[in-house]
Amino acid sequence: MLILTSVRSATSPHRTGPHRTALHRTAALAILVIAAGTLTACSNASAQPPANLISVSNGGCGSTWRVPHPGPYTFQIYNAAAEAGEVDLVNPATSGVYAEVEDLGPGTTAPMYLDMGSGQYAFRCLFDDYDPITGATETIPGHASGSPATLPVTTNDLLEPAREYHAYVQAGLTTLAAQTATLNKDVQAGNLAQARTDWLTAHLIYERLGAAYDAFGNFDQEIDGRPDGLAGGVNSRQWTGFYRLEYGLWHGQPVAELKPVATTLNADVEALLKSWPPTEIDLLLIGLRTHEILENALEFQLTGHDDYGSGTVLATVLANITGTRELLQVLNPLLAARYAQLPAVTTWLDRLQSLIQKYGYQNGRWSPVTSLSTPIRQEIDAACDQALVELAPIAAITEPRST
Amino acid sequence: MTQAPRRSFLKGALTAGVGAAAAGAAGYSLHGTPAAAAVVPAAGFLPPVPFHGEHQAGIAPASQNQTAVISFTATAEGRAELTDLFRALTSRARFLATGGTPPPVGISAPPSDSGTLGPTVVPDGLTVTVGVGSTLFDDRYGLAGQLPAKLYPMQPFPNDDLDQAQCGGDIVLQLSAGSTDTVMHALRDIARNTRGGMQANWRIDGFTSPARPAGTVPRNTFGFMDGISNPSPGEFDSLVWIQPGTRGEPSWTAGGSYFVVRLIRMLVEFWDRVDIGEQEDMIGRRRASGYPLSEMSIYADPQYDLDPDGTIIPQSAHMRLANPRTPQTADSRILRRAYNYDRGIDEVGNLDVGLVFTCFQQDVQRQFEAVQTRLINEPMVDYISPFGGGYFLALPGVQDSSDYYGRTLLE
Repeated sequence: MLILTSVRSATSPHRTGPHRTALHRTAALAILVIAAGTLTACSNASAQPPANLISVSNGGCGSTWRVPHPGPYTFQIYNAAAEAGEVDLVNPATSGVYAEVEDLGPGTTAPMYLDMGSGQYAFRCLFDDYDPITGATETIPGHASGSPATLPVTTNDLLEPAREYHAYVQAGLTTLAAQTATLNKDVQAGNLAQARTDWLTAHLIYERLGAAYDAFGNFDQEIDGRPDGLAGGVNSRQWTGFYRLEYGLWHGQPVAELKPVATTLNADVEALLKSWPPTEIDLLLIGLRTHEILENALEFQLTGHDDYGSGTVLATVLANITGTRELLQVLNPLLAARYAQLPAVTTWLDRLQSLIQKYGYQNGRWSPVTSLSTPIRQEIDAACDQALVELAPIAAITEPRST
Repeated sequence: MTQAPRRSFLKGALTAGVGAAAAGAAGYSLHGTPAAAAVVPAAGFLPPVPFHGEHQAGIAPASQNQTAVISFTATAEGRAELTDLFRALTSRARFLATGGTPPPVGISAPPSDSGTLGPTVVPDGLTVTVGVGSTLFDDRYGLAGQLPAKLYPMQPFPNDDLDQAQCGGDIVLQLSAGSTDTVMHALRDIARNTRGGMQANWRIDGFTSPARPAGTVPRNTFGFMDGISNPSPGEFDSLVWIQPGTRGEPSWTAGGSYFVVRLIRMLVEFWDRVDIGEQEDMIGRRRASGYPLSEMSIYADPQYDLDPDGTIIPQSAHMRLANPRTPQTADSRILRRAYNYDRGIDEVGNLDVGLVFTCFQQDVQRQFEAVQTRLINEPMVDYISPFGGGYFLALPGVQDSSDYYGRTLLE
């Protein structure tokens, strides 16, 4: 069961793979297809097409068009083909994308809005199973600035980052497996004091991997799941993993009750480790993870939600920062030329990290986040919030696109 | 005032909307692009309130339908970041109050706007009133020497029950507009663009009830008309706007106003068990008509000198204590802008409703505190419970497209 694999998204000529979830995207397409019938019927009745209407299909990508002067402009992109497609407005010299309309259902029309500056423009149409078509190049003269074009990131561009990230996770999982084995031994031997120490070490190794939003599929629920959706909550027998063990270790549960929990955790980590080498990383997810890891940290760690007794959520956030930085590092060759705000990401991650190091770890132990004063929590939250705002564009920029 | 911001949390914020009213009315344009036609408000939306001026736009006009008051702690590090924060706040407020189309981002980022007002941001009468609390003048930003003469934390009055978690703040925003979604959109936009610079402490939403019957004055949750007697615009220079120099105020406060926020729970179940005569004696007006007990119209001034012993309007009536209408108390009058709030229910199943009382004045001691002191132990205190709020200074107005909130304080 290799949840992480998404062959389609890694190999298809342009991105049609799952975004947050494959189901979501499929459902959206279905709705578009249904809507298409209605719109076609209406458009048949209209006479002269408006000047800003761009008709595209798998055989042609807009005829000639003209925009009278620079400034904000809205095209209406009409898909005359029998299948869904994607339409980009590009700089034909660089393939930089000014604007795009994704998932344009057959027979539907969608607006494309941008601020048109002086320069060269052409539509590019991307339909599954057809080569990309680039329409006529149009020029807006003068020296007006407008929406900038962003160089698309291709599937090929993401292969090396994926390889590096795969290797990072591989190394992390190897270390993790050794540590959960140690943790399991502690619990089986009834040495719960040592188990509490080894639990933290192991959990932080896991949290450094960048596991957010089911990165490891069902494994993540088994290894690091919350009791939230389980009947009985923290008393549910279905609750397994690090947080389950944390709850027991810090709530005085007897050794006998914790032994099977530790055994299961150890086995689940072993299984994840075994499954990892052939796992292909969904290329879309690399960019998404750059903000999702800290989205999770803000929602579940900085709120205190995921403190099941150890009071170490701030250590978890530091581990999450490490995971985020790893993703940024593997993506850096792509981002450096595409994301002017990239230094701000580092600025705010650094600030978040130094605030947590300053306030979160005192006299040799971690402070539970809820024990910090409001002003200190506000400083930490502000740094995390701003880091997230700066991280968010990376997912959009590094979506694999065809050119 | 156009140099690049020092800290990144502002760069996005300074990219205002494209074209439309944003470029036209506000007198600037993005990327040098020409302004498109002005935004025509759709039916049911309020027209824009001009953003630029000597005073902030949200103080003088009558209350809008909806409001939100949000208190923030400044988390900006140092003076330069604080300045960037106020620039960003200004840029967002200017765009939101003017309206226009949010800038397209292509494939470079998530959408620049939440889309909750549709593809074009309508102004809907939005005003953004920005105030600062005394805590902003501590040692963090080097502003201690600029502290206004009468700005200090709100102290509890004898019948208050203040929850410190809902009091004070370095910065306060009051966002008011024609509809709830406009207020929420504005708050979300501002928060998104100022993330690293300030963090919310507490928030309360309020509403103005329609005047019932039409043509009268909106009522509070006690069923009484509220905010009937306010200073007229001609009196604002002597009652509302701070006049530096005359009362020891620093020069940067010119055009500003002391901004008091009081969150007042009203125990409406208890109130509903009080007979009408007692209710009217506590207020001093007829509940149904809004008339002073001694008069025959809403706006008539009660003649207290003809009723010195309070046989008609008791001396303990709220309106008589608040404004005795004597020459000695004339300069304690305040500009009231109260909104009702509704926060659900409390632990015993009673409605958690009341008043977001806001008022503006030239001098918080001479005015709000003097009024509130006269109201100590008024009979109505049994039916209300002030639990939060704070004293702030509403900053001078943003004068033009190159100005920003707090410029006179920060430069």
